[in-house]
Parts: sequence; C-alpha cells; structure tokens
Amino acid sequence: MNKIPALSPTVLLAVALLIYPLIFSGAFYLDVGVTFLLAAISASAWNIVGGYAGQVSVGHAMFFGLGAYAPLLCYKLYGWTPMAGIPFGIAASVALAILIGIPTFRLTGHYFSMATIAVAELIRIYFGTWDLVGAAIGLQGPATARGWWDLTFRSELPYYYIFLTVLAVLLSFTYLMERHRFGYYLRAIKVGERAARSLGVPVQQTKIRALVLSAMFTSVAGSLYSVKTGFIDPESGFGILVSVQMVIIAALGGAGRLYGPLIGALILIPLQTATNTWFGGGGTGLTFIVYGGIIVLIARYEPGGIYDLWEQISPRRWRRKHAS
Amino acid sequence: MLLEAHAVSKSFGDFFAVRDANLSVGEGEIVGLIGPNGAGKSTFFNCLAGDAVPTSGKIIFDGQDMTKAPPEAHARLGIGRTFQVPATFEGMSVIDNVMVGAFLRHPHQGDARDHASRIIELTGLKAQMDLAAHSLGTPGRKRLEIARVLATNPRLMLLDESLAGLTPTELQEAIRLVRKIHEMGITIVIVEHIMEVIMTLAGRVLAFNQGHVIASGRPEDVVKDEAVIEAYLGRGSHRVRRRSA
Amino acid sequence: MLLLQVIVGGLLLGAIYALFSSGLTLIWGMMNFINFAHGEFVMLGMYVSLLVVMYLGGGPAAFGFGAAFALFVLGVVVYLSLIRYVLRGPMLAQILSTFGLALLLRYTAFWIFSANFVSLPQTSLSGTINVGGILMPIPQLVAGVIAILLTIGLHLMLTCTTIGSQLLAVSEDRGAAMLMGIKPDRMQALAWGLSAGAAGIAGALMAIAYPWSPSVGETFGLTAFVVVALGGFGSVPGALFAGLIVGLIQALSAFWFGPIYKDIVVYALFVALLWLRPQGLMGKA
Repeated sequence: MNKIPALSPTVLLAVALLIYPLIFSGAFYLDVGVTFLLAAISASAWNIVGGYAGQVSVGHAMFFGLGAYAPLLCYKLYGWTPMAGIPFGIAASVALAILIGIPTFRLTGHYFSMATIAVAELIRIYFGTWDLVGAAIGLQGPATARGWWDLTFRSELPYYYIFLTVLAVLLSFTYLMERHRFGYYLRAIKVGERAARSLGVPVQQTKIRALVLSAMFTSVAGSLYSVKTGFIDPESGFGILVSVQMVIIAALGGAGRLYGPLIGALILIPLQTATNTWFGGGGTGLTFIVYGGIIVLIARYEPGGIYDLWEQISPRRWRRKHAS
Repeated sequence: MLLEAHAVSKSFGDFFAVRDANLSVGEGEIVGLIGPNGAGKSTFFNCLAGDAVPTSGKIIFDGQDMTKAPPEAHARLGIGRTFQVPATFEGMSVIDNVMVGAFLRHPHQGDARDHASRIIELTGLKAQMDLAAHSLGTPGRKRLEIARVLATNPRLMLLDESLAGLTPTELQEAIRLVRKIHEMGITIVIVEHIMEVIMTLAGRVLAFNQGHVIASGRPEDVVKDEAVIEAYLGRGSHRVRRRSA
Repeated sequence: MLLLQVIVGGLLLGAIYALFSSGLTLIWGMMNFINFAHGEFVMLGMYVSLLVVMYLGGGPAAFGFGAAFALFVLGVVVYLSLIRYVLRGPMLAQILSTFGLALLLRYTAFWIFSANFVSLPQTSLSGTINVGGILMPIPQLVAGVIAILLTIGLHLMLTCTTIGSQLLAVSEDRGAAMLMGIKPDRMQALAWGLSAGAAGIAGALMAIAYPWSPSVGETFGLTAFVVVALGGFGSVPGALFAGLIVGLIQALSAFWFGPIYKDIVVYALFVALLWLRPQGLMGKA
C-alpha cells in the first residue's frame, strides 16, 4: 500500500469492476452493471470538453444519437453488421462538432451551451420526421445474431466486458491527456482564456480539438448502446435527458477529474435503478425532479462535485500526497 | 528597432482612448509608460500585446507587422505580457502555471517541466512550487505571472503594473527581479503608476495624458516636463490615496 | 387571403415571443447570464393563470396580474437564493444552475399537472372578428396587442425611468453604480423579478389563446434563445423586432411545409445566425 499509493485506488477499482459480474451474476445486477458502464463512458466522454475544457455542453445527446443511429442504419440499409456503422457515427459526430465549435468558440461559453441544446433538439425533431431513419418509430437491429460479428448476445455478460474495455481505453486516454500539453492547455483555458492566449495557447483550436475528441467517444457510447439494445428512436438517441445524464453524472462526481464521472455514475445509477424499481413507471418523472434538484445543488454549493468535497474534508496529508 | 508603433489610435465610438501614439523600443532597452488613470497607457499597452486591435496606425515587431495579430501570435513571436490584475490559473499549482508558458517552446511534458523548474528557481518561487496559485498573495501571484511569461522565452516583456500594490521590501525584490530579467537580454516595456519605480528602472519614458503622448525622453527630464507635472498635479490627491491604500 | 391570415396569426404569436424574450435579453444584457429556465417561467405563468381562474375566478386582468406577480416573486427568489451565488462562479455553475432549475420546474409540473394538454375555460374573450376579410380570433388579437404594448412599456421603463437608469448603471459599471449609492444586488434581484414577471404575463397571454402542457417550456426557452440571438443580446427593441420575425417564420413554415417543421426551421435559423451574425441582426458588429 505504501509503495504504490497513487496506483492502488486504480488497481482496486479495476479489480472490483472485473470481478463484479462473477459475484453478481444475476440478470438484474448484470443489467445494472452494464447501465453503469455505459453511463460512465458517456459522462467521461462529456468530461473532456465539459469538464477539462470548461465548455459546458447541454446537448451532447446529438453525438450519442448519431453514434446510436449509424450502426442500425447500416444494418437496415445494407444488412451489414451494426459494428460497421460505428466509424460512420464517429465521422458524422466529428463533422457536427467542428460545425458547432468553429462559430461558438469565438464567443463566450454561453453561446456554446445554447447552440448545443438547440442543435440537439433540431436533430431530434428532424429525425422524428425523417423516414429513412424510421421517423418517430426509430430503427431496429438484427433480431437474432447471424454470427458473433453482429454483437447480439442473449447474455449481458459479453456486453459488460466490451463496455468495460471501452471505458478502460477512454480513461487511459484521459489519463494521458491530463499529463500532455493538451491537458495543461485545457485546464488553462478553463480558468483563464485571456491569460492562456497571452502565453501562446491556441485557444480556439484547442477547444475544437477537445470537442471533437469528446464527440468521438460520445458517439462510440451511442453505438454501444444501440448495438446492445438493438433499438433506437429519436428520444432515446437525441432526447434532452440523454444529455442531462452525462452532465449530471460528470458534475456530481467531479467535472474535469479523471474519476469524476465514474464516481458520479457509481452514485446515480444505483439511485436511479432503485427509484425506478420502487416507484415503477411513475418513478421516472420523480427521478428527473431529483436530477434537477441535484444539478441546482451542485451549481450552488459545490461546482467541483463530490471529488472537490472529498478533498476539502479529507486530511491535509492525503491531499498533498495526491496533489500532483 | 525591436518594437515600433506608428501613429497608433484606438477609439471606442467617438471617444479616443489613444490618439496618434508613437513608440520605438530598441533591443535591450527598458521603456516606461506613465500617466494618470485613464490616460490611455493601458489601452496602448493592450494594443502592443495584441489584446486590442488599433483603430488606425501600425505596430511592427522585429520587422513583422503585428497590428492585427492575435495575442497568441505575439507570444509565439516573442512578446510576453503580464496583467494589471494578476490572471494566474487559479486551480493549478505554481509549477503547472509556469508549465503552460513553457509548453510554447517545449512541447514535451518532461522538457517543459525542467524548463519551468529553472524559471521557478530564477524567480524565487521554489518554496511555493507545489502550492495552488490561489494560495499565493498578490505579490506572489504577480511574481508567478512574470515567471509564466518568462517561460515562453520572450524577447520583449510587457509588464502591466506588475510592481503596483507591493510593500517597500517586496518592491525592492521585484525591482531586482526585473533587473535580472533585463540582464538576461530581454527588452522591457513597463506601465507604472509609481514614479519612483520608473525612475530607477527605465532608461526612457513616455508620458500619456488624455490619449496623447505628452512627453518622452529620459525619466529625469520627463518628470520635470511642465505638461507632465500638470497632468499629474490635477490628480495629485488621487495618487496619494492610491499609494497609501 | 389565407396567407394573410397566417401572417397575422404568426405576428400575433410573435408578439408574445417578443414579450418573454425581452425578459431573457434583459438578464443577458445586464449580467451576461443566460437563463435556461426562462421557458419554464412562461410555462409556470400559464399554469398560474389556470389556477387563478379555477380557484379565485376573475377575468383575464385577474390572472394576468396573478401570473405576473407570482413569477416576479419567483424570479426574485431564484436570484437571491441561487443566481447571486453562481454569477461570478465558474461557467459550469452558471450553466448548471438554471439548467437544473429548468429540469426541476419542468418535471415538477409534469408530476403535478400531468403531460396532458389543457386550456383555460372559456373566458369573456372568445369569438372571432372580421378585419377587412381576415378572420381574427379575438383571444389571439387581444393577447398579441397587449404583448406588444407591454414590451414597449418595458423598453420605456428601462430607458426613461430612474429605476431603468439604475438598472442600466449596474450593467455598465458595477463599481461606479455602487459609488452612486445603487445597490447592485438589489437591482439585479429586481431585474430577475422583471424578467420572470414578463415571462409570467406572457404565459398568461399565451394561455388566453392557446392550449399547453408542461413540455411547452422547453420549446419556449429555445424560441427565446433564437429571438434574443436574432435581435441582439441585451436589446429589448431587438427582441420585439425579432420576436415578430420568429413568429412569422414559424407560421409560414408551418403553413408551407407542415406544422412539424415550424421548430426545425427556427432552430436552424439559430445555428445559421451563430455562423453569420452572432451579434444579432440589430446588434453592433
């Protein structure tokens, strides 16, 4: 424990996530686990631009939805394995990210937030009228697997480990990013854009790169979702609540922190599962009232989320040890 | 000439904050900009730093036209600046702050860290290296700003009241630091309120009043200039209050 | 003639957009802050009107004042208990504060009032009037005209009264305003009250003429963004002008392409504006 203090929480976490399905092998617990991983992936992806760069997107569902539609659209049109659609989702998301980033990042952060929510709504409504993507009904994947490449499994277990791998890749990427020039630039832009520019930081370009990276991973999260469920419609792809979930999970855990979204998902997903189980269908509305309340409380009292709260109450020595 | 400003004007609507200001700074000089509050020296300074685009006129740095270049281009070409109100990156540690500057010439993290460490030693911030920037007081943050700029390897440093609001001892230390930077071969343009600082540091001074350059030359001559005395006398009481505060 | 009727209908709806958007633009102009819950304020204004009619009775004047007053109070309370603390905080806190508030209000409304569309019971305002061959429903006509008058009134209040100039002073230079003896906090609370009040009364006017459900808040909020972006951030006359245009564009696109497209066209306009003229059509370059 003393030899590798910085590593041990990571190792513990990795081990816990790896053996979770072996201990909780029931379908219900496995489903919760998969939901948790997907939420953690989406929120971690949001975190790159919303947390690290401090550019608060409230319409990230647009990337999630594009990623979710692409695989099932490829299947519908050409009969390909849904997996083949993932790159198309990424490409569309990157294009959209650039399209939004270029005009809004020249202005204050409010414009970006407004643009994201407006564009997400625009796409949601448009997809609801567009016959090619199934309009309001949406799209479906292969009902039964034609082979392993369709990634259509009866058990949740394979999905669990696929999602876990993607999460590990994303978090490793974020870890490296934090230590790279790019990560320093993001943090500098977040707290002092004017000062960052005066030091030669290409602010506009750095923000766009952050948005593009974030959009790519969010798109992958969307693809994973639709490949697993084999179904997507405008609401589950582009709905405002998809965006809300990413924001709240990242902000609750700690926006701009490596493990922030993971901590947020660890709290929120079981909470959400519990309310849905206890209150049945009627609980959904209640869940979102609670979400709204939590978001307001975070904004008002602790924008740094649980991570910052923990740093404040934890002993000084622990903090210093983990400071850099 | 390292830096030249020709007939630079900056207006906001009908109001001219700076009108036809000329300045040429040779390599290795320390030039001071003085003047009462609202005289236009800060606006002029921001034009030099690329933070404001002049309404008319030209700014040439090392033979290149910088008039419309953005701040980041200024940094790349070797013009660094500090801010009147220190704009340190609050949540980040002192070393990380300096590293943001160091990354400009050292893209790799290890090199940037080494370079930043050297700068931190040079500027006397070593003891506070791992502290968060916001835990430093105003003098510390002003020093950190200078360190951060220094890490970008500038040829010209623009200091915006980097020595204001310091106690006499802190002031002496800060003056020593500016001298040290100057000895490294870096040209300096400094905006200051406090006459004494300018007198000890600058080789040449430009005095501003109501957007115009009203006098320029050796500091000891400029302070004797009638127009300058008049500009300052009107605000005399102002200045005393500011210094005692 | 049908087209003319569509145009007039669009302008009358646009007048209400102008009224609630001027509330949003007031906050933006004064404190550089975007209220994501503004559409929810309009939605609440509609439900307050319904509650007043159901439980207290009275005509449009009664529920109009009721909605304006209730939302004014809500605006002040929101400012004092929430916005004040995030105003100079990180961007994340600024955005999340009203974004979370929007969710809270929207889903609470769903929970209390259900997702069903409702409308006010028949009031004294009903029937249609024939103006030069155009059939105008009287509720729409009254609501639109009052909305225009109130927006102009708000503009006059901001430009011609002492309170207006004090509000302006705070937005231009907080420090200088304090030296003049103005309390910025109090003025900003007042601005939030006015902003939400304008949304509330716009909701009441909307309720006279159109049915609604809790989900309209989101649409109105986004519509207000578009109006403010078009009219220039911070400009009430700009909001009036842009509100009418947006109402017109909506009505025409619904008429030509079908009702589903009315929001698509407006949101697309917003994205186009960000690219071409982020300072708004009437804003300074």
